[in-house]
Amino acid sequence: MTFLLHVIAITAMSAPHILGYNLILGKGKILHFGPLGTSIIASYVTFLVTMTFSNYFLGLLAGLVAVVAVSSLFAWISFRMEPDGFGVMSIAMHLSFLAVVLNWHSVTRGALGIPRVPRFPFLETPADFALFAVVIVVLWIAFLWVLDRGSYGRKLAALSEQEWQAKSLGIDRRTVHWVAFVVVGLGALLTNIQFHQYIFLVHPNDFNFAYLIFMIMVVVAGKPGSIFGCVLSLILLSFLREGIRFLPLDADVLGPLRLIIFGVILLGVVYWRRDVLFPKPRSI
Amino acid sequence: MQLLVNALIAGSLAALIAGGLAVVYGVLGVFNLALGQLALIGGYTTWWLYQVLHLPLGLSIILGLACGALVTWVTFEIAVRPFFKHHRFLPLVTTIAWSMILDGLILLVFEERPRSILPGLKHIYEFSGIRISLEQGLLILATLVILLSFAYVFHRTSLGRRIRAVVQHEHAALSLGVPAGLLHGFLFVLSGVFAAAGGIFIGIDQSLTPTLAFPLTIKAYAAIIAGGKGNLWGAILFAYVIALLEQLLVGVHWFGAFYVPAGYQQTVALLFIIVILLIKPAGFFGNSSRTA
Repeated sequence: MTFLLHVIAITAMSAPHILGYNLILGKGKILHFGPLGTSIIASYVTFLVTMTFSNYFLGLLAGLVAVVAVSSLFAWISFRMEPDGFGVMSIAMHLSFLAVVLNWHSVTRGALGIPRVPRFPFLETPADFALFAVVIVVLWIAFLWVLDRGSYGRKLAALSEQEWQAKSLGIDRRTVHWVAFVVVGLGALLTNIQFHQYIFLVHPNDFNFAYLIFMIMVVVAGKPGSIFGCVLSLILLSFLREGIRFLPLDADVLGPLRLIIFGVILLGVVYWRRDVLFPKPRSI
Repeated sequence: MQLLVNALIAGSLAALIAGGLAVVYGVLGVFNLALGQLALIGGYTTWWLYQVLHLPLGLSIILGLACGALVTWVTFEIAVRPFFKHHRFLPLVTTIAWSMILDGLILLVFEERPRSILPGLKHIYEFSGIRISLEQGLLILATLVILLSFAYVFHRTSLGRRIRAVVQHEHAALSLGVPAGLLHGFLFVLSGVFAAAGGIFIGIDQSLTPTLAFPLTIKAYAAIIAGGKGNLWGAILFAYVIALLEQLLVGVHWFGAFYVPAGYQQTVALLFIIVILLIKPAGFFGNSSRTA
């Protein structure tokens, strides 16, 4: 039962960030591979401010400001570069943020991470976390559903399919894409304020490349752009990810094996979903 | 002066990798994000052949390069060829997946601990205060020879003309009998061989660890993007510029007050490139394309 609650909590906590990422990669076809860079900033700013001033509200406010600022930076870079170049440089941004966190020992404690992260007063047991995370994710899905089905969703889809034609119809690419980047950032904030409270620690290892692969895998496997498809693939892949740890293997073998399994799954789902992930442009 | 020599050493390694990739980008229009892992496979294979099987160093290097070529060919067949004709952005995702698979295999086979092909003290030579090892001198020389040979083939031979024809207009080249498909595979494998050579250099000069892969890839691509995508000489130039920046950053006693910790070396160089790209989005020697 505890394991089940743990998986529900972990799945629901990670959903806001991944579903936000689905909006940008799945629906918008923007090659943004730096969402964990936003997570790093969101987590460290929120918890450092919270712990320094012993004030949750101030911490969350600082996290929100930081997330909007970093998301805007990513958006600005994406406007200046070609899509694939931005894909590579967004990874570079992620690695750069990680390097700062690892080396600024006086503030972030480097590779030791920040222990004893304060929890909200109403979050104590895995059941509390699972319930809170499910409530948050339901509200988040409702918000994304409204975005997706409204004029914003249509504009984003139009830009992803035929950028020039969309622009000629009066759709402002910069505004639409900036909103998508900010939504990913807000999702990162929602996910990370819960996750780090749950594990009592903010650690650089939580932002490694394997998790980015997991995010891409969920988006691609669940049908890029589909909210409920991503929810379903997130549930299935989370059970797989958490279930692998029960394999009777040494930790030295389990880690690499997990990389191989997820790499193979991602390769397979991209092959399976290649027409949806990057469709051939329609023409008259 | 020592910083310049260090930059020349680090830049030669990056230029070797970035040069091959720039041509691949020019021909195929795809990024291969499993590149760092291909470099490590070349290095680790050479280490295993030389240190574990005790084969002669020269033979170990040749077999290491061959292994790098083989794995690059497998990479092309599995993660690139089925996707790049469909959409040129798909390999960006598939090569990330492939890099994870290779990472896992490297960790399983060679483990996480550092591996050095030539452990122990190196032969250090000193000229007017500049210290350089024999291996590092050979690295600079070998990079120069390889890149000049490549430039000769690219600009002065019929094979080079065919490659340039495919870069300029693939379908026109095909209609004139140039085997574009074969050239795609050949150039991709060649870039993998260059990367494997880079991995072997790392294994000889320093030591190999699995964590090197992504920084190596990102640095090579930063050079390609900054130089103008597909521009061979721009990529090579910026590989050296990035290396120089990294060396200056950690080697200079800034304002006579502090040294920047080595951990920031890679970060500042990448951020500098991003700043350059914000000013000149198509890179220094690239042609800008209009966006909506």
